[in-house]
Amino acid sequence: MSTPAFDQLFRAAGVTGWLYAADVDTGHDLGHGADEPMPTASMFKVPLLVALCRQADAGLLDLTERVTVTAADRVSGPTGISSMLDDVTISLRDLAYLMIALSDNTAADKLLGRVGFEVINTMLEAFGLKETRVVQGSGEMLGSMDVDTGHAWPFVDPDDITRLSVLDPARTNRSTAREMARLFGMIWRDEAASAPSCAWMRGVLNMQVWPHRMASGFPYDDVAVSGKTGTMPTLRCETGVVEYPDGGRYAVSVFTRSFGTALIQPRADAVIGTAARMAVDHLRR
Amino acid sequence: MDLVRHLRYFIVVAEELHFGNAAIRLGMAQPPLSQRIKRLEEELGVRLFDRSARQVRLTEPGRLLLGEAREIVGRVDRLHELARQGGRGTVLKVGVPPDLAATVLAALVAAFRESSPDVRLAPAEIWTADQVTALAEGTIDVGLVRHPVTAPGLTFGQVLVQAQGVLLAEGDPLANVGEVHLADLAGRELVMPPKEGEPGWRAEVLAECRRQGFVPAQVHEGAGLGLVLAGAAVAFGPRMELAGLAWRPLLGSPITSRVSTAWRAATPAVGDFSAAAARTLKESAGMTHEGAAPVRRVSRRPGMLA
Repeated sequence: MSTPAFDQLFRAAGVTGWLYAADVDTGHDLGHGADEPMPTASMFKVPLLVALCRQADAGLLDLTERVTVTAADRVSGPTGISSMLDDVTISLRDLAYLMIALSDNTAADKLLGRVGFEVINTMLEAFGLKETRVVQGSGEMLGSMDVDTGHAWPFVDPDDITRLSVLDPARTNRSTAREMARLFGMIWRDEAASAPSCAWMRGVLNMQVWPHRMASGFPYDDVAVSGKTGTMPTLRCETGVVEYPDGGRYAVSVFTRSFGTALIQPRADAVIGTAARMAVDHLRR
Repeated sequence: MDLVRHLRYFIVVAEELHFGNAAIRLGMAQPPLSQRIKRLEEELGVRLFDRSARQVRLTEPGRLLLGEAREIVGRVDRLHELARQGGRGTVLKVGVPPDLAATVLAALVAAFRESSPDVRLAPAEIWTADQVTALAEGTIDVGLVRHPVTAPGLTFGQVLVQAQGVLLAEGDPLANVGEVHLADLAGRELVMPPKEGEPGWRAEVLAECRRQGFVPAQVHEGAGLGLVLAGAAVAFGPRMELAGLAWRPLLGSPITSRVSTAWRAATPAVGDFSAAAARTLKESAGMTHEGAAPVRRVSRRPGMLA
């Protein structure tokens, strides 16, 4: 069975794409530019989630501890606490839920403040994920865009796009399709943290609200799709695990860069699902 | 000399090892029985019994010839039996679904012929509901029915299951994917066995299709695949190779065909057929024992009740 024609598929959606998919249990895999370093945008919240769980597993922090998020903590963002107006007192694990399910930037940065870059990157190194690094929080990423372009939101001018450091893997949070999928595989195999922590992470990842990317490729009641998206101007990505009714489970990571700079591009979102479906279908043959 | 009749006397004496008892069993006097055994010994040129001791014993040649004698007498009896039935043999009237693959039916007939050479199989192509009526009326002795089927007084053989795939025209876009989900078939038309013939199966399949997001625009009745070949409809069925058609498995195996034999009156022939059918369907049609039905999971994505 020849590899699916991913190039053609991505081109038809107006994007360039990179992909990696693997059977979580057998390791049988498939790649398309799988080792290309890519900016991870909001997907950096997944290594942060794993590191948070490992800290809790080690007794270094208590996930039920309540913290108060004030105006001073607030980072801009379209969802969750980022869009709220008043102070919120909430447990660390509920912050983590908001960070993953809604991609809440404020929740992410609050947790990042507790865990720290070093803990995350030491963990990634120990996992053998050499291309994956977390070097910026959400606030820094968003702030860099204003600095790089010299103006505030929106960033749709093609010249602006070329200046954005958040699209340069050397200067922002980064990974590869292969490494992101490997991290998800570890969560699904209970290897990333303790088994109860991994089970909780799977539950949270399954509650992600966005249906327009990976999940759109599997429009079936009996197929579960869990994942985390990442979005920056022209960059759309998602890594997740697709679970089939017969028990087959597949970790898939897809990155795309759109040719156009328009913010709303449903075809570019949907091709992440289509490509993931083609990859899983290929792995199941 | 009537050799067969003499061989019958020999067998009875050999079984009784007592001329008096053997004569009583044969309904004759002892002296003529002794004479006839002696005649047989002269004819064959061997002594069959050792009468020197107080007890009658089979000689070594007698022991050897006894098996042959039984074989000869048995075959002669069968000859008479067949002749009495006008040379037709016993006939087992069997109902099979009209959409049973020809190769499977052929394998079934061959397997039954091997296990019961005396019984001739008369298969008739009848849908499940009509088989139930035919069994009640005695027009067939045993049927091969598709479940679910309920009918009082019927006994069912082992239920075998088979996951069904979907048959599509070769040019269908779905023919290129590895697996098809029922939801992918949304908007298409479907060919199914007639409602009157397979009411249980049809209701079960259509309910499952609807549950999974496939409500056929139209359900055509029939067992032929012409409409599928024409690209006008799809059909469910076991894996098959047919020019112009593509078969694809269904994701999650949502549709499984369950078949078993069914009968009203158990006879040895019905039992033999039931056993041969179970064996053949497993070997030739890839069916398996009915296991526990897999629990269907419905994933709960955010937004379901939002």
